[in-house]
Amino acid sequence: MIKYFSILTFTLVLLTLQHGLVAQESTAVQTFKDTRVINTQSVETLKKRHVDFRVGHRFGDLAGSNGGWSTFYGLENSTDVSIGFDFGLTDNTMLGLHRMKGSNVLRQLVNLSIKQKLMTQDAEGGKPFGLAVFGLASISTMPSSPNPGVLSHFDVFAHRMSYHMQVILSKKIGDRFSLQIHPAWTYRNLVPDFDTNDIVSIGYAAKAQLNRNIAVIVEGNLPFSELRTNENGYYSGFSLGIEWDTGGGHIFQVNLTNATGMTETDYIPYTQEDWSQGQFRLGFTIGRQFKV
Amino acid sequence: MRLLIFPLLILILPTLLEKQDEEYPKLKDNDSVGKLLYQLGDDPGWYVEDDDKKSSAAKGRDIFHTGFVQKNNKNKGRKQSKHFVCTSCHNVQREDSDLTVSDPQARLEYTMKNDLPFLQGTTLYGAVSRRTFYNGDYSLKYGDLVDDARNDLRGAIQLCAIECAQGRELKDWEIESVLKYLWTIDLKVRDLSLTNTEKVNLEAQMDDNPEAAIATIQSKYLTGSPATFVKPDKERERYNRKVTDINNGENIFLRSCMHCHENGRYSFFHLDTCKVTMKYLQRKATTYGDHSIYQAVRFGIYSTSGRKSYMPQYPIEKMSEEQLLDLRGYIDYMADR
Repeated sequence: MIKYFSILTFTLVLLTLQHGLVAQESTAVQTFKDTRVINTQSVETLKKRHVDFRVGHRFGDLAGSNGGWSTFYGLENSTDVSIGFDFGLTDNTMLGLHRMKGSNVLRQLVNLSIKQKLMTQDAEGGKPFGLAVFGLASISTMPSSPNPGVLSHFDVFAHRMSYHMQVILSKKIGDRFSLQIHPAWTYRNLVPDFDTNDIVSIGYAAKAQLNRNIAVIVEGNLPFSELRTNENGYYSGFSLGIEWDTGGGHIFQVNLTNATGMTETDYIPYTQEDWSQGQFRLGFTIGRQFKV
Repeated sequence: MRLLIFPLLILILPTLLEKQDEEYPKLKDNDSVGKLLYQLGDDPGWYVEDDDKKSSAAKGRDIFHTGFVQKNNKNKGRKQSKHFVCTSCHNVQREDSDLTVSDPQARLEYTMKNDLPFLQGTTLYGAVSRRTFYNGDYSLKYGDLVDDARNDLRGAIQLCAIECAQGRELKDWEIESVLKYLWTIDLKVRDLSLTNTEKVNLEAQMDDNPEAAIATIQSKYLTGSPATFVKPDKERERYNRKVTDINNGENIFLRSCMHCHENGRYSFFHLDTCKVTMKYLQRKATTYGDHSIYQAVRFGIYSTSGRKSYMPQYPIEKMSEEQLLDLRGYIDYMADR
């Protein structure tokens, strides 16, 4: 699977280079308004010298055995909290530094990320889709457990690390609809005996722009892993939300998701919440851009 | 003997003509108008030669277009403004077909023909040949700050850096560099559109009466750009869409609005020609908020605490009422298509 993924990535890069050689002046299409859809990265990057300050929060289960009135529908719990910055190094390169609470085995995460936009869809059709690559290194800063049998027992520093890489392909259709798929590879340095370090997955996302400010967004991911079946208690992540662009570099987003974590190395391997059992939660993300 | 004179004349004639050429014309098409005025005795106080020392036209060009000096320069310094550069609001090319009037429609047509942005600020092409800056109602906007800028180009550059660009104060060498760059984009004699007769007369004046020559030259262009701020039209509901020129409106939208708002070039408020965007602008047009084109064009968007970037307003000389209606007509057309 990894071999096929590498071939796909290589082919896409070649296609991009080919397009770059015949690049002409054209009108770039803004496929998504934000650099993230809900949890996942969108094809967009920040403009050069723009900083995006982001705060995200995911509450507890809204319904089911852990939700309902007793937790005020999850609002009294938090499964993940994120705070951090993204920075536009160039118009096509974005760096990120985020601190996450973490919702699963590894917690107190520091995430370093880079996203490179390789191709921007243009209105004239010369470049029919957008393309970007995203890389993430996640470091757990939690104290090492004294119990050698658990994943949070770190013999060496490298055990704290997880990685994620994805290729993002996007297409804006008409004025209102945007689609995206993103094949991805996630690698965790330390996993249980019955699991594999590598997980290949494919993600998808879509946006329907209702008016200039409001859009409905959905996203999900499907890990290709024999372990990750419903029978084994794993579920593919699925999220939907409302995105509000206030028009001044400020994005506010409210969402419902069964993923407890907010970062790829968290929600792709570890989502064990089932929508049908009410194990979904309310979340919000606030993004505010500045120029520096 | 006669037979010899004729060929001799033919041989001598080109030499005689050449000598005539050496004396005339004194005016060459590529001559800087500002420098010519200076040589005639009209010294505004900002004539500088590009000696390429600490300040230079090349550095000025960098500051002008990017906000700081590029490459391996020890004086690179901090970016002048994180919001704007000079070209956000000013062209650096000629933007009027007739330099003696400020006609927004003629300017729009000229910018269309030459593929230039259509902007709030006057082109800085020829700025060194002007004599007044921040004219007319800019004193209402900037108050006493205009005093140091109205008759002094250095003062105007500094005011533009601090207030218009919402950036830091320029250092002396930076101002001198920008000034030297502005001298490289001065009006040229050919821009004055002198007829042959006018040219001959002007050359004669230059010898006999320099003051008259200065007046003649300055009568061929505006030595200051008029600026009149008007209030937004309150009769927004009564506009007649049928009499608007949609093509004109489209050009204003593409050359003016999109210059700053396309894909976040200078503004976080993104604009495009999508129907959803046009519907939004259409819905907001008759309101009295910042996103109404009437309010934005005539009042601009003011900077506030925590959001220093702003949008300068259009004086009536930069966008006429008819053009504003054309812009609305285009937005309505695109929203209802």
